Amino acid sequence: MSQLQETQQTWRSGLRLPAIILMAGLVLFAPAFVGSYSLHAVVIAMIFLLPALGLNLLVGYTGLLSLAQGAFFGVGAYASALLSIHFNTPFYVNVVSAGLISGALALPLGIPALRLRATSFVMCTLGFIVIGQAISKNWISLTRGDMGLSSVPKPYFALGPWSFSVVSTAAYYYLALAVAGLAILAFYLIVRSPAGRNMIAIRENETLAEAVGIPTWTYKLIVFVLSAIFAGVGGSLYVHYLTVVSPLTFQMYYTTTILIIVLGGGVGTISGVVFGSILFVALSEFLRVAPEIRMIAYGICLLLIVFKFPKGFAPVIDKVWSALGGQRA
Amino acid sequence: MTMPAILKIEQISKSYGAVKAVSDVSLELQRGEILGLIGPNGSGKSTFFDCVTGLGTPDHGRVQLDGTDITGWPLNRIAREGRMLRSFQKTVVFSALDVEENLVIAGQMFAFDSTRATFGIGTETAAIVEELRIRARELIKLTGLWDVRHMPAGKLSGGQQKLIQFASMLMPKPKVILLDEPMAGINPKLIEQVVEAIRYANTQLGISFLIIEHNIDVVTSLCQRVIVLDQGQMLAQGTPQEIVINPLVREAYLGG
Repeated sequence: MSQLQETQQTWRSGLRLPAIILMAGLVLFAPAFVGSYSLHAVVIAMIFLLPALGLNLLVGYTGLLSLAQGAFFGVGAYASALLSIHFNTPFYVNVVSAGLISGALALPLGIPALRLRATSFVMCTLGFIVIGQAISKNWISLTRGDMGLSSVPKPYFALGPWSFSVVSTAAYYYLALAVAGLAILAFYLIVRSPAGRNMIAIRENETLAEAVGIPTWTYKLIVFVLSAIFAGVGGSLYVHYLTVVSPLTFQMYYTTTILIIVLGGGVGTISGVVFGSILFVALSEFLRVAPEIRMIAYGICLLLIVFKFPKGFAPVIDKVWSALGGQRA
Repeated sequence: MTMPAILKIEQISKSYGAVKAVSDVSLELQRGEILGLIGPNGSGKSTFFDCVTGLGTPDHGRVQLDGTDITGWPLNRIAREGRMLRSFQKTVVFSALDVEENLVIAGQMFAFDSTRATFGIGTETAAIVEELRIRARELIKLTGLWDVRHMPAGKLSGGQQKLIQFASMLMPKPKVILLDEPMAGINPKLIEQVVEAIRYANTQLGISFLIIEHNIDVVTSLCQRVIVLDQGQMLAQGTPQEIVINPLVREAYLGG
């Protein structure tokens, strides 16, 4: 190794810490220098990260493709809206309840659905969205049908005599950041546990996983419920941010966005999905400047990404990371 | 008084539509025994294996493992609670994972007492995983896979994958192992290595074996007893020496 290369390597190896500090700084102080519209896009991205993490657990770790994430997202949104409208419950109660209600609903749906094999399972989860939409449209006494629920209160926190309401986009940014951070931590702990290793085993070869004693069906059910909890929490965050929810939440658009974040970002990785949620949601928001060609442009971008980065962005992120550490990527 | 058999299989039958794949096959595997199961292709050996290990359910019959009736248990439960493990005719590994991870996974459900415990995140969990890793490394050395232990299992040769599969089955300290054609498609040098590994597991670890194998030399050198299946029925049983000279077996399977 020449001296120059060596110097370069030592010079570059010191870049990881500054990169982390820079990123942390950007994340923490974003509201100070990012325009309000961009900040809004980032909030939406962080909200979509939640159902995407849940889907990643299913697709990326357990090898199950589900289209029901949008449905559980919608259930979480409605549950949260109804609770706060009818019972005036505080935000943290709504967000936890939304996760639990979505998870509880996933249990009876998962039991029969997970008996099915791959393609039939996908069809079955598609059915859940259709049913969700039908219920939200037609159970008018509860959901107000197509009108949807509006004036969902912005989150407020009450602790003894103090109360605090999250109204501005900047404040909501920090709230979403905290929830997204906790979700990433939870996700990380799940996939790094021995159970996470069993999930990968199921993805790799289900029969072999059975042969080494793994009760594959039980794991799949647990993961399906966990993924719904992630989606439900995301839905709650969504409805308290926009303050409205309607049957449109059960449209395929939401499910496809979640799917694109995971598949385009990097299946089975954390960094890829985080990056994917920012990129794809930001891209979609950015393209609103040209509404006539928005969806076409979005589609073309997707095609480019699929051909250019077939494994998502996770390998690119890994490369940058090793380069910053001074290793040759 | 003789010790009861570790595995007692009574009158297993299995049909696919009108085809009787296995009819009324019974056998007993004694403790510490290596029992061979031979027969022409399509004689029902693999179907019989599936029925015994829970990958399929028999139409009739009963399977008793170490005194417990395990008929109808699913594959994962027979492996986990019965400590009876099996290999597959077509070798399978967790392709994307390295050799060490393959072995760690193979030991997990035996090291943790419940599914819930596998979601643990504390130091106790980490200690159990570390123990599994140590055991995995011992077995990797034993099977001669040390140099490739960090390679993705799917990138290794068929023979090496057989060794991974075998080492994985030793992770939980099983009572019984059923091998479906362990020597198929591997080179003569590796055959020696696998034979030695089976012999070691049998004599040193006290594991009983039921082995489906076409290589008659391997069967003769390893097995104390051999059972011959033909068209789903038991044709003969005896020592390897008796079997190779049995005229019925020669006609149906060994040829001339």
